Amino acid sequence: MPTRTASQDFLKGLWQENPIFRQMLGMCPTLAVSNAVINGIAMGLATAFVLIFSSFLISLIKKVIPNQVRIACYIVIIATFVTIADRFLAAFFPPISKSLGPFVPLIVVNCIILGRAEAFASKNPPGRSVIDALGMSAGFILALLILSSIREVLGSGTFLGYPVLGSWFEPWVIMVLPPGAFITLGILMAISLQIEMKSRER
Amino acid sequence: MSLSSRMIIVLTSVGLISGGFLAGVGILTKDRIALNKKMEIERAIVSVVPGSVSGETLYEEKDFTVYGAKNEAGDLQGFALYTSGVGFQDKISLMVGVDASLLRLNSIAVLDQKETPGLGAKITDPTSFLVFWENKDFTQPLSLRKPPAATAESLSASEVNTITGATISSEAVLGIVNAAREKLKALREEGKLAPGGTDAD
Repeated sequence: MPTRTASQDFLKGLWQENPIFRQMLGMCPTLAVSNAVINGIAMGLATAFVLIFSSFLISLIKKVIPNQVRIACYIVIIATFVTIADRFLAAFFPPISKSLGPFVPLIVVNCIILGRAEAFASKNPPGRSVIDALGMSAGFILALLILSSIREVLGSGTFLGYPVLGSWFEPWVIMVLPPGAFITLGILMAISLQIEMKSRER
Repeated sequence: MSLSSRMIIVLTSVGLISGGFLAGVGILTKDRIALNKKMEIERAIVSVVPGSVSGETLYEEKDFTVYGAKNEAGDLQGFALYTSGVGFQDKISLMVGVDASLLRLNSIAVLDQKETPGLGAKITDPTSFLVFWENKDFTQPLSLRKPPAATAESLSASEVNTITGATISSEAVLGIVNAAREKLKALREEGKLAPGGTDAD
């Protein structure tokens, strides 16, 4: 593996290896909670919390864990942080906890987290693992933010709950329903691939 | 140390440390979560019974609770029924506010629902749905007006509006409220609504 600088470790999560648009990981929460911007942000932050701490911890104890039981250990560690995030949201942000519903506990099986643990944190020192996790989290939050902004503005005529389009606008209900998530995500992926191909041609 | 004993030791210790940690987090957040839930119920009671500031549990069974809503002096202002039933996709939980004589329905509030966003989820919308549930005749079962009336005034005292495109959700709410009405009536005839007596048998 060629040596990479810290900024490369971080930036690859935003674009080159963006978890949503490139690696296509974590689709389930992405599609499900991106119907409103506030849900997207909350989900992004909860996932970031779990990703950063579990990457750090796994990288820290990677030498102690026997290879045969590594996945089980990773999942226990990830599940611990997810439960902390879930309880924290339920205790201090009950409305958000309610609207995210079962998708907070489901972060346990979010492939981004286990994927980074297996592909990066288990092979790299803690410092780099945290930077990698920060980059991936930023990429995930960015993707959720774009997706949920489009869906909320078109589907409800609001942004973060504030009306941004006048009363003339008839909300496209389909955008806040599951099909709207698939359509928007597909279009965004096509755009991001198009940009990537154009930049490679140069 | 053999590999298998190392595997056992590592997995066990990871599990134990995580478990211990989570027990701590659970203890720290438990009270706060219970308080949130209580506050939510209390807020709903106060919102459906005008003039009330608190609620006292008068009768409780699974998915059905009657609260006596009281003002600051402790006088009964009306009853708030916590009740739930099956909606289009999942359970709908409501708080139904009734006056002390059980003749009028003050208003309803939605506590929990997972109806379709943009359609059935309109049951939480004050201006397009809940306003049509205010101040209704509670001496007979309510019925739905279909197609919906434009203003609350053009509905009769025992009629409520349907949401266009979400008849099932509208009917679900209606069914839940009417069922709660029957239960409340039966409870009063059995004399179980006297404030102070919390006979839940």
